[in-house]
Amino acid sequence: MRGILFTGLVIILLAGCYPFEYHPYDVRLDKKYRNINAGNIEKLRIKDRHRDTVRFIFMGDSQRWYDETEAFVKAANARNDIDFVVHGGDISDFGMKKEFCWIHDIMDKLNVPYVAVIGNHDHLGSGGEIYQSMYGDFNFSFVYSGIKFVGLNTNALDFDYGTPVPDFEFIQREIADTAGNNYCQTVVFMHAEPGDVVFNNNVKVVFHEYLKRFRNLRFCVHAHEHRVMENEFFGDGIWYYGADAMKNRNYLLFTVTQQDYTYEVVYF
Amino acid sequence: MCRFLLLVVLTGSISTESYAGNNKKRYWEEKHERKIQHYQQGWSRLIPQYEKIHYAGSMGLISLGIGWDYGKKSQWETDFFLGYLPRFEGQKGHVTVTLKENYIPWSIGIKEERWKFDPFTVSLYMNKIFGDEFWTREPDKYPDGYYGVATNFRFNLAFGQRVHFKMRPVGLSEWLTFYYEFGTNDLYLISYITNRYLHFSDIFNFSLGIKFQFL
Repeated sequence: MRGILFTGLVIILLAGCYPFEYHPYDVRLDKKYRNINAGNIEKLRIKDRHRDTVRFIFMGDSQRWYDETEAFVKAANARNDIDFVVHGGDISDFGMKKEFCWIHDIMDKLNVPYVAVIGNHDHLGSGGEIYQSMYGDFNFSFVYSGIKFVGLNTNALDFDYGTPVPDFEFIQREIADTAGNNYCQTVVFMHAEPGDVVFNNNVKVVFHEYLKRFRNLRFCVHAHEHRVMENEFFGDGIWYYGADAMKNRNYLLFTVTQQDYTYEVVYF
Repeated sequence: MCRFLLLVVLTGSISTESYAGNNKKRYWEEKHERKIQHYQQGWSRLIPQYEKIHYAGSMGLISLGIGWDYGKKSQWETDFFLGYLPRFEGQKGHVTVTLKENYIPWSIGIKEERWKFDPFTVSLYMNKIFGDEFWTREPDKYPDGYYGVATNFRFNLAFGQRVHFKMRPVGLSEWLTFYYEFGTNDLYLISYITNRYLHFSDIFNFSLGIKFQFL
């Protein structure tokens, strides 16, 4: 009997690396689920061939649509013309650790690196801490083939004043950062767009004015609304493009060159 | 003679009177004692019959519990747990409380009741985690029903097995029980139902426990 019990225990322990769950919101992560953004940005730096054309996918909320997200990864892997993928936030539906891990397990199968910005759902419970452990800072940037990409946390409603959202200090620092002079245009990613209830609309004009100080700001991309959107919110030629949620099985494909940029909605 | 008779009757009546008085006193005393006994017995039902130590199970790293069993074959159990979730990489640790109902339909006694085996247990439990970032209804700053989910309450479902050992000589507890459970929660189940991608192994977690049966 003891033998049976012992064998049973060994099988159970081998079944998964984390067979025990302390709480759905505990922040206890395996090494493979850490520093995903930084790791993938490093992969991008290594594979950067400094070409004139950059093509990337911006995908919307994955929330609880695992089947659709899996289909998305298959669709993205079927093409060989993209440099990287950006997840527009709302990775999880309830901010639970397992949800983040399930999505990363799917996204990790992409042939190209991916980065993710934080969505408002990702901040439920201790989701914000889980995002930080898994993906890193709420605000981040990287340069790829002469383009600076900036990811911003714009979910002000989820935060109190202890955490600045949007973080103007970060934006200022990024504007001032001309080190190496290795980029000549800027693209900004965020989850919630100016004007949405989650955004700090008291500063939306100031926010936009700050973004325009980025070197040659081309356009902004957001997710959150679960539909494709196209808005020139401030009437000054800077467009905000909104990506659909995974449930509607489409993504935005951007092609950026030195002079121009185009985008299309691709269904899968 | 008449006086004598009167005296006898009087003393008799006095003595019967005092006898009746004593009886009455004892009657009330006994009634009072019975009442106290009844009262104590009533409250003594609230004395926990067992204690448990539970590892994991989505209610903290470790939880300590007390509980009561009832039913003809003690097939029902109600547990109350206090759990602790350490901080890990988060900002701070959290305390949780759990109300757990277990149903143990079968118990198989082997070797002259020296040990018993429960081949199947099913549990439903409600866990609450304390902390500012967890709420039942979203704070007022959100539009009504924006998220529509309580982040501090989780409803869990678990299945398990148990082995009981009779302690000889009887130590602190008469029976010592080891058990394990496989459990999931309401939100995992919703995710599982709406996605073919997820498997049972994705949403079920393993937990372990020890039970000390005192009464």
